[in-house]
Amino acid sequence: MRSFQSQPEQGVGEPRVKRPAEERGRIVMREGKPRPLFFTGKRPKRDRHSRRKVSFFHFRNYEPAFKYFTEQVLDADFVPTPTPTRATIKRGEEMSADYVCTPFKHIIGDYAAALEQGADVLVQVTGFCRLNYYGELQEMILRDAGYTDFQMLNFSYVASGKMRDYIAYCKKVVNPNLSVAHGVKNLLGAYRMVEHIDAFRDRYLANAGFEVEPGSFQRVRKEFISSMNAAKTNSDIEDGFRRSMDALDALATKKPADPVRVGIVGEYYTAQDPTSCLNLEQKLLDMGVELSNAMSISAFNLHFNIDAAQASISEYSTYDMGPTSTFNIAAAKRYAEAGYDGIVHIKSAGCTPEIDVMPVLQRLSRDYHVPVLFLTFDTQTSDAGLDTRLEAFYDMIAMKKVR
Amino acid sequence: MSLEFGRRADLADVRRVGIPRALLYYRYGIAWRTFFEQLGCEVVLDAPSDRATLETGDHLSVDECCLASKLFLGHVSALVDEGVDAVFVPSLMSYGRFETFCTKFQALPDLAENAFIVAGRRVRVISFRIDEPKGDAEEDAYLGLAARFGASRKEAKRAYKAAADAQRAYDASMAREQEKLVKGLSKLPEAERPLTILIAAHPYVSHDPFVGGVVEDALREQGACVLFADETDRSRALKRSYDFSHSIPWIVNRELIGSILMLHEHIDGIVLMSAYPCGPDSMCDDAIERCIKGKPILTLTVDAQAGTAGVETRVESFVDILSYQKKGGYLNA
Repeated sequence: MRSFQSQPEQGVGEPRVKRPAEERGRIVMREGKPRPLFFTGKRPKRDRHSRRKVSFFHFRNYEPAFKYFTEQVLDADFVPTPTPTRATIKRGEEMSADYVCTPFKHIIGDYAAALEQGADVLVQVTGFCRLNYYGELQEMILRDAGYTDFQMLNFSYVASGKMRDYIAYCKKVVNPNLSVAHGVKNLLGAYRMVEHIDAFRDRYLANAGFEVEPGSFQRVRKEFISSMNAAKTNSDIEDGFRRSMDALDALATKKPADPVRVGIVGEYYTAQDPTSCLNLEQKLLDMGVELSNAMSISAFNLHFNIDAAQASISEYSTYDMGPTSTFNIAAAKRYAEAGYDGIVHIKSAGCTPEIDVMPVLQRLSRDYHVPVLFLTFDTQTSDAGLDTRLEAFYDMIAMKKVR
Repeated sequence: MSLEFGRRADLADVRRVGIPRALLYYRYGIAWRTFFEQLGCEVVLDAPSDRATLETGDHLSVDECCLASKLFLGHVSALVDEGVDAVFVPSLMSYGRFETFCTKFQALPDLAENAFIVAGRRVRVISFRIDEPKGDAEEDAYLGLAARFGASRKEAKRAYKAAADAQRAYDASMAREQEKLVKGLSKLPEAERPLTILIAAHPYVSHDPFVGGVVEDALREQGACVLFADETDRSRALKRSYDFSHSIPWIVNRELIGSILMLHEHIDGIVLMSAYPCGPDSMCDDAIERCIKGKPILTLTVDAQAGTAGVETRVESFVDILSYQKKGGYLNA
């Protein structure tokens, strides 16, 4: 500690240290706004924002992540895709070939709706199976249908799969002034947001079937999605997530000690998207079931170790059977081993890889004595048939459980 | 799969190898046969598809499977009944980023095995995996399989080389034949030239007598000259297809599209044929209809229906329209 008592070697020019007791207090206040220092070491930021109006397709409730990606990573305007209606689906169905897979029809319907909302860049991702060709064919169909004033951000065109090429492509189509440093930072935020949306969904599905106050879980979920939608920075995402998870945990439930548990596996898009599978998750929740859905972006794209999964199902398949086949078989096996009461397998009409998974699941069902309900969804909008089948399935597994 | 020379040869007891006459047999059959014959196995092929094959296959498969895969399981079943030691079902995935196969071919060995187990039967499947972008090259796959038969590295290499050469020679001869035919046609004077129709379909559809045979017969009966889109120089066709599309992921469809482009000026019409419900074709046919202009296109979906009258009528009317058009419209006929 510095002593003020004796300072024998003090130089002449140095200010004399006042005794603390001698220093009198001073209060200052000036009018007006804070003035910056004359030189802060920073040039004013140039406006990098692009006025391109980017739109995605509708996919479960990932829209906030798409929005965040567009606004914070691509730094462009985001046009939300209108909630799909019967008309949107019908439109998509009319525009596409008869037996193309169903997500294609849903997505192209969304695109047409988004273009009518004024979007001028449509984003299509790349991946596996027919998805590789979605973007190109959809662009062709939309142009033939008379929508000319748009560009496609089709990640299938980046054949190399290198980050550098993806950035160059985004710069070319959406925003030439894109800041890479800023983009990378916020891409991490988008990544976290996707993880959070999935974590929230998993918690929701596990407990929402046992809510005490009807509609309370839905309310918290809506709040969560709107807080994600409002997020502007990475910390907004974390805050919103934490708050919503706490709110979700605070809700009263009347969960029995041993509830009926159902696991959902299936085709990537249809198994997750409520519009495609006629709100199947909610229907099951309303029956009072603890649900778990294996498929999500974070489970399949971000945290999936295919070699480990393949090893875990080696008695059922020697090779990887298709894009999501190994994932689904492994997930179904996990559910069976964890003692789930039933498994629902969801696919879109004509989905080749999921059709090929079905015999494996039939075998698994036999080996583990777990009922598997196979459901195929096309662009139908009537859910009476689905209700009957779900009720029958629920009755069967509930009775089996009691016995 | 890594090479396993010198390890335990777990397939050494397999003497009679069955190859189902379905799906990619029509593309790689010669290579497969030669390969197993070189390894000293007896190769058993079952009879060409007929209604009974389809019925057996239908019982073994999930309802929504495509016609071609139902036929495939029917053929496997026929081979099992014939008492072969094992059935050869490779898992083919891809030769490049946009040169992949339908996921059906990727799943085939496991699909066959599981379908049989579900039906309470057994089938011993021998298989290999080709997925070049991930490092499972074609040659390694063949050599690895030969090693499991107890072949030495030298024998394995010889067998692979013989197989690849035989297939290449066969493909080249088919392509040459068709090229000769096209040249001969173009030399004929306009008036004498028969109607030239290109059948663009997966080889297991167009060359299977039960599926595409009907269409070919109907076309020939009408006096048309039939060309096949899969009997051209495949590597040139593949290259050409990149002019058409950047992102079509299927190698077979790419080759078909490439040869449509290559033969475009020599033909009067195109028949696009697909087995219901074919995944790759569901998108590629749409694209072809939108982008290949100037030639009439008949899209035929072949179903498991009994009877061929429906197909025949469509083909006949298509040929009629084309021949009227060739004569300068209905009024000048």
